[in-house]
Amino acid sequence: MTYQKLKSNFLFAFYFVVLIFAFCFLNSVEAINMESSRYRIQFGNIGIGGDNLTSDDIRLTTSLGQLAANRFDSDGYVVKAGFQYIHSIIPFRFSISKTNIDFGSLIPNTPSEVASILSVSFGGAGQYQVTAVEEGPLQTMSGTFIPDTLCNGGKNTCDEVTPKLWDSNRAYGFGYTMDVGGKDIPESFISCYKTSGNKSCYRPFPDRLQPTPETPAIVMSSPNVGRNKQATIKFKVNIGPAQTTGSYQTIINFVATPTY
Amino acid sequence: MTYQKLKSNFLFAFYFVVLIFAFCFLNFKVSAQELSLGISPPLLEIVIKPNKSIMVAYKIDNYADPVIARAKILPFEPLGNQGNIKIAKDFSGPVRFSLDNSDLDLEKPFFMKTRESKQLLLRMRLPEGTPDGDYYYTLLIETEPPPTVDGSTGGRAKGTIGANILITVTGSGMTEISGKIVLFDVISKFKPFGWKIFDSNAKIPVVLNVQNNGKNMIKAEGEIVLNGNFGEKATYQIPAQNILAQSQRLVFATPSAEINQPTSLVLSGFFLGKYKLAASLNIGESLTPLTASTSFVALPFRWIIGLIFALIISLILIKRLSRNEDEDEA
Repeated sequence: MTYQKLKSNFLFAFYFVVLIFAFCFLNSVEAINMESSRYRIQFGNIGIGGDNLTSDDIRLTTSLGQLAANRFDSDGYVVKAGFQYIHSIIPFRFSISKTNIDFGSLIPNTPSEVASILSVSFGGAGQYQVTAVEEGPLQTMSGTFIPDTLCNGGKNTCDEVTPKLWDSNRAYGFGYTMDVGGKDIPESFISCYKTSGNKSCYRPFPDRLQPTPETPAIVMSSPNVGRNKQATIKFKVNIGPAQTTGSYQTIINFVATPTY
Repeated sequence: MTYQKLKSNFLFAFYFVVLIFAFCFLNFKVSAQELSLGISPPLLEIVIKPNKSIMVAYKIDNYADPVIARAKILPFEPLGNQGNIKIAKDFSGPVRFSLDNSDLDLEKPFFMKTRESKQLLLRMRLPEGTPDGDYYYTLLIETEPPPTVDGSTGGRAKGTIGANILITVTGSGMTEISGKIVLFDVISKFKPFGWKIFDSNAKIPVVLNVQNNGKNMIKAEGEIVLNGNFGEKATYQIPAQNILAQSQRLVFATPSAEINQPTSLVLSGFFLGKYKLAASLNIGESLTPLTASTSFVALPFRWIIGLIFALIISLILIKRLSRNEDEDEA
């Protein structure tokens, strides 16, 4: 082989490898965002009309366009109201799309599901949380009840904290899942979904009426600001053939609070 | 056709068109949401002397169907280190709460129409002799659940929205501030000989935990500074965050990102060599800032593997092409 041919072969191989290398490793596109996942630059407070009013006893700071976030100094107290002086135009708001969770008439060994969408608008520093707790299990006026779910049982036994797979029609009870497509849902639902072959995992609601009231479970939580952050909660019930006929009812209390 | 008839026909047609127009275009958006509440302000911080009383106005908005709601106050305590709270079942503490509204009272139900706003005038009174310290409460607006549907099985959801109230009681005007950084580190899965090693392109999670050892809450704010070997420097701001008395909190820096675990900051970009991270937090105007530092090493593992792979392929190609040339010449 001549030197020229060797050189041309080498160059060909070199360019080929560079091309592959560039294709494999230099394919990411970086963009500079003007916002982060937690904060967004926004006009939170238009200062037109804002003023500092002082007297011997009181100092009052006012500003126009500010949503109740303010600071007052007076003899004996200091009050700071608002989202830690990150004046946000996103108020704290919580919505439930369906408050009547009607399973209709239950058929033994046939699971029944009802979905509802939880939405949160949150604009402050820190964090928000939505918790859920049941006021007793699903029960009739006479006290007959449908127990809270244990999911499939065995290695797939769930509790109020840990969701597990519940796809057996022979596993009875009442529980819920958070749809993994939702925003700000607990990580435990996502990890269980992945390990269960992309199947939804369930867990029972904590019971507030237990002799030692159970701690409400966090169903949505995030430090990131945003409008209308939505997550779907699916309530599920499945009864056995021995379950007494009747109208079973309970109350689920969702509590949305911003952080401190 | 007389002028009068023409006029009446015109008016009839006009009103008819207006009616159709209103029907088609002015049908206000009806939301499927059954419950939607807003509250403002969502957070209240008060420093107050005993034997004082203050009043704060809250605005409650009902954006959905009419609801029967009631306002109540319950104490809370921090839950975990990420800013979550645990609301107590029963009221406790020395602060006396009441509503100044003539038609509203705490724990008493009130009705809110769709799109109605109500102002709650919350009065807080600190009796004489209230011990110095912090008292944490949540103002809760709790709705009544919908009525039961006879004959069917199901749950009834009730929604509650809350706003936190942080009260610091001090007779002297002095507060006890004592904070400590208990953890400042990068989370690395690869730590040979204690070195925290990452790939140059990897996302580097940073955690910063602050402990409040004092009797009063502290407001921590500061920055995390990243310094590289080649003089590069980046500063990440830590916005003011409250750390309640006798609790710990993971403080967030900005910009942050979400990964599988709670973090204060996620560094991303291309890193090469050894980097030092330094955190500085102010917890009080006249106090020395809290500081902590850590370091990590970033190496371009993916690039190195890619280069080795490319070299192997190029050697194979050269060898194959050379063999083909030799065969052609032969």
